[in-house]
Amino acid sequence: MSGERGGGGRGRGGKKDDKDKAKGERPRGGFFRRRRVCKFCADKIDYINYKDVRLLAPFIPERGKIQPRRISGTCAKHQRALQTAISRARQLALIPYVTD
Amino acid sequence: MSQNRQYELVYIVSPDANEQAVADLHTQVEQIVQRFNGTLDKTENWGRRKLAYEIGHAREGTYVIETLTGSGEMVKEIDRRLRVTDTIIRHLTVRIDEDIRVADRLRTERKETQARRRTARGLPPEPLPSERRGDRDDDDSGEMGLEAPEGQR
Repeated sequence: MSGERGGGGRGRGGKKDDKDKAKGERPRGGFFRRRRVCKFCADKIDYINYKDVRLLAPFIPERGKIQPRRISGTCAKHQRALQTAISRARQLALIPYVTD
Repeated sequence: MSQNRQYELVYIVSPDANEQAVADLHTQVEQIVQRFNGTLDKTENWGRRKLAYEIGHAREGTYVIETLTGSGEMVKEIDRRLRVTDTIIRHLTVRIDEDIRVADRLRTERKETQARRRTARGLPPEPLPSERRGDRDDDDSGEMGLEAPEGQR
């Protein structure tokens, strides 16, 4: 029993990893749990402002690409609006196009 | 025949330009707006800000945001003028009146629905500060527990 546990590592954390694998999430650790609710619907944000970098930042991982819907959990309507906002912010050099 | 619409103009002034030059550009924009019988509703100066990437050789720039009301021809002229100005390294004009209208409508609709539902339940239409919901979603972990036994066995 204890030998089995050694492979999993840390009890509850092990469960989480299993689910992440099933969802095809990145194998790298330190990733916060997938949010199943659209952030913009939940926070009742009607207009995604392209000048608000702090609002857009969680949807742009280190590489600079837009996070897909299946990971961020954003609804289709808001992902489209987010896409426009990010493009505008990129044009104004508020957000990088790419980061190496 | 031209309709009045609301626009938002953002331009980035080169870091070499001094404050006087920034003020001059603002008056230039104002003059064009006046010439086309538009109105300048709001001006916001973000000051110097680091750019996310290099534009030309500039690493930072002064951001100025102006909210304008006027015709499409006005925007066309502003756009042309800003493009030929050397001290402006980037600019963007966005039409915002429709977005504002959509956002307003969503907000009022949500308020109405909330008020209707609450009165139907015999509550005051506005939620009290004491009944704010917390941000925790603890039932998430319960669902994961269903999948877990397989992995542990």
